[in-house]
Amino acid sequence: MPQTIAEKLFSRHNLAGTQVAAGDILEARIDGAMVHYHANEPMHDLALQAGFKDGLPRVWDRDRVFVLLDHHQPTLSQKQADENALVRREVDRLGIRCFHDSEPGIAHQMMADYGLMRPGELVVGNDSHTISYGAVNCGGIGITRADMLYVLLFGELWFQVPQSIKIVLNGRQPNYPIAKDIVLYLAGKYGDDFAGNMSIEYAGSLVPQLSVDSRMCLSAHGVEIGAKLAMFPFDETTERFIASRTQAPYEPVIADPGAVYEKEIALDVDQMPFVVAKPHQFGNVSPVAEVAGSPIQQAIIGSCANGRFEDIEIAARVLKGRKVARGVRFILSPASQQVYLQCVKAGLVESLLESGAQVVTPGCGVCQPKVGFLSDGESCITSTTRNFKGRKGSMKADIYLAGPLTVAAAALAGKIVDPREVFDAR
Amino acid sequence: MHANLQTAVRGRVWKFGDSIETDAINPYYRYPTMEELKLHTMEAYRPEFPKEVKPGDILVAGRNFGCGSSRPGLVLREVGIVAIIAESVARLFLRNSIARAIPIFMAPGITGIVEDGQLLEVDYPNRIVRSPASGASVELRAFPPLIEEIFAAGGLPEYAFQRYTREVRGS
Repeated sequence: MPQTIAEKLFSRHNLAGTQVAAGDILEARIDGAMVHYHANEPMHDLALQAGFKDGLPRVWDRDRVFVLLDHHQPTLSQKQADENALVRREVDRLGIRCFHDSEPGIAHQMMADYGLMRPGELVVGNDSHTISYGAVNCGGIGITRADMLYVLLFGELWFQVPQSIKIVLNGRQPNYPIAKDIVLYLAGKYGDDFAGNMSIEYAGSLVPQLSVDSRMCLSAHGVEIGAKLAMFPFDETTERFIASRTQAPYEPVIADPGAVYEKEIALDVDQMPFVVAKPHQFGNVSPVAEVAGSPIQQAIIGSCANGRFEDIEIAARVLKGRKVARGVRFILSPASQQVYLQCVKAGLVESLLESGAQVVTPGCGVCQPKVGFLSDGESCITSTTRNFKGRKGSMKADIYLAGPLTVAAAALAGKIVDPREVFDAR
Repeated sequence: MHANLQTAVRGRVWKFGDSIETDAINPYYRYPTMEELKLHTMEAYRPEFPKEVKPGDILVAGRNFGCGSSRPGLVLREVGIVAIIAESVARLFLRNSIARAIPIFMAPGITGIVEDGQLLEVDYPNRIVRSPASGASVELRAFPPLIEEIFAAGGLPEYAFQRYTREVRGS
């Protein structure tokens, strides 16, 4: 029976050793567990609650657990500092070897930076955007903190094999990143759960032209369209990316010809307009033209969706020799220390600072109400992941989601504009 | 206290729309303690909810309930919600609810058979949800045996404790 990527991935990891198909329930062997800032819960709080008197008694494999204190680094409160101290003690007690403690950044980007997830693996994380690992053909799946306790103990977890949806992207990569526009456009057209519980497989003539940065944006946003997996095919781009980060062996996961897809949709990106998601849902999408002229007080580039080199580079290119509009706070947060360093070395940070932008510590803060709160009546355009009511503080503020070019153009203009008014988009 | 899937419940309905996100259900960034959360859960959609919800009430929602970040809906249980029934549930919210033994059901058609404030009967043992007012009902799909076992244990951490204890004793 020909298999999709998801069916092959789960068959390969099925503890029972049998082939599985969409709809089957299985217990799967886990290759890697990414535990981020809420590590105190599976390691300690939930363990006590479950009956383990001294906390989690063990981890199943000390080399396959990756603990990163991303959301809480540097700490913004006493509570965070105390939680981090607890995690440090637990990591030490359990003998976990891979611990990124004093390094700010987004866990998912650090997993990529340090080659901690590889093609063909099944890697879980207690964060919804763990799905982003599909960008490098790795089966990244977001789980819950309670699931993580089970994984840490046994290296196993139950799953239902998802049905698959093929998203065929055709067209040409223009001179700016378009991944965000693609996923917003699709969410607007098909709804914010059109890939609900499914495994996305990206295909089409655009894919070989997409950078790993763009692929990570598309895969990360799999969760905003409901997906369980968001997988890119393994190709030369993946191979180069992995080879420069890890020498550990791996086996890519490739769909069979004739595999069965529940749905297939196609998009010609050459015909796609610039789009924004209006307040307060991801699928509330319209062409930029419809909201052009709306004033903004804050613009943000960052997050696990769009805080990578190419996202910051396009902002620097748009603003080069120009100034952020008066009255606009333009905040950029590189996704990790490695991304930050890359931006510094390329001169992007100097250029952005000269234009009046703020570059803040890498991490998840700009995507949550932690860094850059909004007040009542304010509007923000952002390349981060979510625009729910209150996501940036006030329940009476408006959040628009857009690609990094559209965000940078708005920062320059002080209002939402068609980016072609300020940038030679080709 | 965990909920028992095997007991039918009857309660007053709070009805919500589509794509209700975990930021609204569990806005813990603004309200870090459970006591604060209880005063603010779901207020983004219905400000009266945290003030007027009563123990025994039932939450009905449209498609994609619990989308967004991976956050449990424990606060809904804390304010007294005894069952959640939605047209569809976002996968991480479903996983969270199973792992914490919060009764949650996907029942396509549910929003068509009951209005806000009406009574609803949720009878998982007989695989049915029924509106006493109209007599209309929709079917509840059975969970796989593994999921029923997790509910019976009181959640996945408790299930893990049972397995670990069994294996360590057995070795």
